[in-house]
Amino acid sequence: MSVAIAFARRELRSGVAGFRIFLACLALGVAALAAAGSTAEAFRQGLASQARSILGGDLAVSVEGRRFTPAETAAFAKLGAVSDTLRVRAMAQGSSDSRRLAEVRGVDAAFPLAGSVQLTGAPSLAAAVAPIDGLPGAAVDPALLDRLGVRIGQTLMLGDMQVRVRAALTGEPDRLSRGFALGPSAIVSRAALERSGLIEADALFGETARIALRPGAKPTPAVAALHRAFPDAGFRIRDRTDAVSGLKRLIDQLEFFLSFIGLAALLAGGLGVSSAVTAYLEARKPAIAVLKALGAEGALIRNVYLIQIGALAALGVAIGLALGAASPFVLGWIARNRLPVPVLFALYPKPLIVAGLFGALAAAAFSLLPLARARATPPAALFRRDLGGQIRWGLETAALILAGLGLVALTLITAPSPTVAGVMIAAVLFAFALLWLIGRAATWTATRARWLARGPLRIGLANLAGPASAARTATPAIGLGVALLSAVVLIQSSLLSQVRDVAPAAAPSLILTQIPPERATAFDAIMAAAMGPLTPDRYRRAPFATGRIAAIDGQPVDPKHIDPSGRWAFDQDITLSDLASPPPDANLTAGQWWAPDYTGPPLAMLDQAIAAAAHLKVGDRITVDVLGRPLDAQIAGLRHIDFGQFGATFPLILDPAALAGAGLRDVAIAKTSPSAEATILKSLGKDFPAVNVISVREQLDAAAHLFDQLAWAVRGAAAVAALAGLLVLTGAITASAQTRGREAAILKVLGATRGQILLAYGVEYGAVGVIAGVAGVALGAAAAYPVVAFVFHARWSLDVGGVAALVAITAGLAAVGGLAGAAVALGRRPARGLRGG
Amino acid sequence: MTPAPQLELTGVSLALPSTAGPVHILEGADLTVQSGGRVAVVGPSGSGKSSLIAVAAGLERPTSGQVRLFGQDLSLLDEDGRARLRRGRVALVFQNFHLLPNMTAEENVAAPMEIAGRKTAIETARAWLDRVGLSARRDHYPHQLSGGEQQRTALARALAVGPELLFADEPTGNLDQATAAQVADLMLTLIADSGAALVLVTHDPALAARLDRRVRVAGGRLHAA
Repeated sequence: MSVAIAFARRELRSGVAGFRIFLACLALGVAALAAAGSTAEAFRQGLASQARSILGGDLAVSVEGRRFTPAETAAFAKLGAVSDTLRVRAMAQGSSDSRRLAEVRGVDAAFPLAGSVQLTGAPSLAAAVAPIDGLPGAAVDPALLDRLGVRIGQTLMLGDMQVRVRAALTGEPDRLSRGFALGPSAIVSRAALERSGLIEADALFGETARIALRPGAKPTPAVAALHRAFPDAGFRIRDRTDAVSGLKRLIDQLEFFLSFIGLAALLAGGLGVSSAVTAYLEARKPAIAVLKALGAEGALIRNVYLIQIGALAALGVAIGLALGAASPFVLGWIARNRLPVPVLFALYPKPLIVAGLFGALAAAAFSLLPLARARATPPAALFRRDLGGQIRWGLETAALILAGLGLVALTLITAPSPTVAGVMIAAVLFAFALLWLIGRAATWTATRARWLARGPLRIGLANLAGPASAARTATPAIGLGVALLSAVVLIQSSLLSQVRDVAPAAAPSLILTQIPPERATAFDAIMAAAMGPLTPDRYRRAPFATGRIAAIDGQPVDPKHIDPSGRWAFDQDITLSDLASPPPDANLTAGQWWAPDYTGPPLAMLDQAIAAAAHLKVGDRITVDVLGRPLDAQIAGLRHIDFGQFGATFPLILDPAALAGAGLRDVAIAKTSPSAEATILKSLGKDFPAVNVISVREQLDAAAHLFDQLAWAVRGAAAVAALAGLLVLTGAITASAQTRGREAAILKVLGATRGQILLAYGVEYGAVGVIAGVAGVALGAAAAYPVVAFVFHARWSLDVGGVAALVAITAGLAAVGGLAGAAVALGRRPARGLRGG
Repeated sequence: MTPAPQLELTGVSLALPSTAGPVHILEGADLTVQSGGRVAVVGPSGSGKSSLIAVAAGLERPTSGQVRLFGQDLSLLDEDGRARLRRGRVALVFQNFHLLPNMTAEENVAAPMEIAGRKTAIETARAWLDRVGLSARRDHYPHQLSGGEQQRTALARALAVGPELLFADEPTGNLDQATAAQVADLMLTLIADSGAALVLVTHDPALAARLDRRVRVAGGRLHAA
């Protein structure tokens, strides 16, 4: 081995110029993986460190549609310090006509138990909510104040309650754990909210008790004790360990997708690694043959080059890890105070180890084949340069297979969902194989097409067909990068179009809640005055409540036994209604609707997709926690509901007798113009101030904005994969630079102008770009379509402009790269080029 | 009893594949080289002289026929086995020198001895560079040496291992007349000193005439010249 080390050292002494692309490809992929992992870990650790503040205590116990009983309150107090909050939604209005839905919270003196409230205009929350001049004080989200044109010190109506705004609420410690909000926050004292009458008027109110456990007490036993003591209470209990489970899931998913793109970059770059090693070993072929002629065995040859490649791979991985580890700090510095979640920037070893392992395995997987080929170089290559060795089964080939399997195994182990990861690996490998075939097909076509061409075009096609053709290596690498980028662009454009165009066209523009059913006729009259005739395709009104499916056939729901596609309907409250007769879009797929005057045991209509996810069928029994009490109902029928459409999209409908006496308020949905919306808001403000108006248009705009921001992160990562492809192209151009120099010199001697030579190279590399671009976009579209249609259930829309731009940019960059390479070749004097120096 | 010849080719044929069908280079070539024997191989360009050396040194497998090197049938050895057989016993010198570009002159000369695991490789290399008049150039890389210097380095590399048989493929073919004469003199002197056998491919009739025996390659066969 010492001879191998000595020989390897001597070779490396002459520099690593031929390995720049090798290093760049490896470093880029490892950096992308390390950056994704380190950044995700920074977010996770940040959230974990702030979990108690985010939850507002160690435990948060919530009920919907009712208050805690004295027994429950006493049980909470036994566990530790308690802060009790009431929640309700109400329309906020200042002195102008402008109205906006707000999430109103009534807090006690203990709030917040953990973390702190950020205010401007008042020294403390207690001071902000204290009564002044007989009016309750309030701390209000500055966005709401701006919208309503209200300043600190002025009064504001929250439903029927008049408050004086005493502070702008710039930060709430538990904002992240409260999830999706339909409106900005306003905080008043709990006493003021209890006195306001808003609670009584709103069946959708809720109460949350946050508990700071006594020192040493663990959350899990406390949660279990509460469930045991109050089995039918319908509590939703979260503890500090799952305060932000949704957000953590989002980070996990985002990390997986970013890592996957990093891995794809490593795969695309792997071709660059392979090409660089092949070019290097090809250049060493005479030296290898000489060593063999001097008596060196194959193993010595392998060891000499394995040591060199191993050392360079370690350097490439180290560069990538350094860049990846530094990136969260750079991100933190750039985003500074603009990050919406707490982040703890530090050096996290685990993501770096994983990225390093991926890098090492990729380096092995892509270097060992050329190494095996080099080992097999026959000494007769001294006489005939084109002679190649026959690769035989041996250590290199076995290690190559192990490295490939290792890459797959590591991807599966580190992915949140091995099934999804498996499908994605298979898709990428398939795409890679297909692109490789397309590259081969391009050279085959060029071989035949060149006879039809003349002049520079023919030279370009001849090069495309030749043994040093960039089509073979650069097409798969660039194509894979473009495929990822276009998949991301197409998924994003489809979803954005869903949010911006499809959803607004199908979904209601307004949702109106808290409509008193006894005044429904007057309400409808106001709507008709603003919208014109109330047809079912533009206006619907129905009784409304929310409830949770707590048990199936008497057994508590276990989310593990429910297919993930329908789990959302079982781990949170869903909307429900009671209807005597089927709505126009009932779409019954099984069972039948109850008689209009049915008064027997409770019956239910369920969405068929939800039923299928939980293996429910007609005749099965479900227990629904609704309005604070459990209700057993038998499934009478299943419905096909298109949630994207305007209509009765309640996943659960009960017979009216089941909820008789519950005093449900009505909800209405309306599809109308922005001007009619303004009229409705104004009219309701006068006659129905308690009716809450939710602007779906605004929610969709907010969703589009949020989605746009998230998409930038994914798009940036996909661009890394495309960059890896371009690196491979640069590698191909560099590797052939010397041959091209000689070729350009010969062409000049034969009378070719610089323009003709440039055109020839532009044709060759431009063709590679067009082929890789078109194939990449086609594969990207093929990958994006099922994601859009079956995962997001959105309507497919092809962003023609984006796709055309991608192809044009790819072809343009490839052609420019080729021209740059040609310009270097043309810069040399013909005599030098012919000498090969 | 006559000692076994160092090299014995019997009915050796070599056909190389090409897109236009196999090209027959050697067809039933016979050659015997005794210990210390010095044979010149002459013939026109493309007649198969270099291929003869490649086959004889075990760098290329013949299509048919037998090659025995030091009494060992090469067809019974795999590539590594042939490399081990050559190690320290067979040396080669080429028209294009084939020095290792990333090694200095001294390292080039030491390389085969290092491969053979000799501890004194570097010291022996220095002594040999001294013998070929290149002690001042030992830290130079091949591209920093003239053609004559490169070939003298290659000669030192070939002979430093103390081979029993040296194959030289037009060693003066790439050199000017004066340098070629110097290199030829040096080679023949060193060979005489070492007692090694020599198989020399050359176009130079004067150089061929200085050897014990001459064979001509024509029509894929060897004829006494």
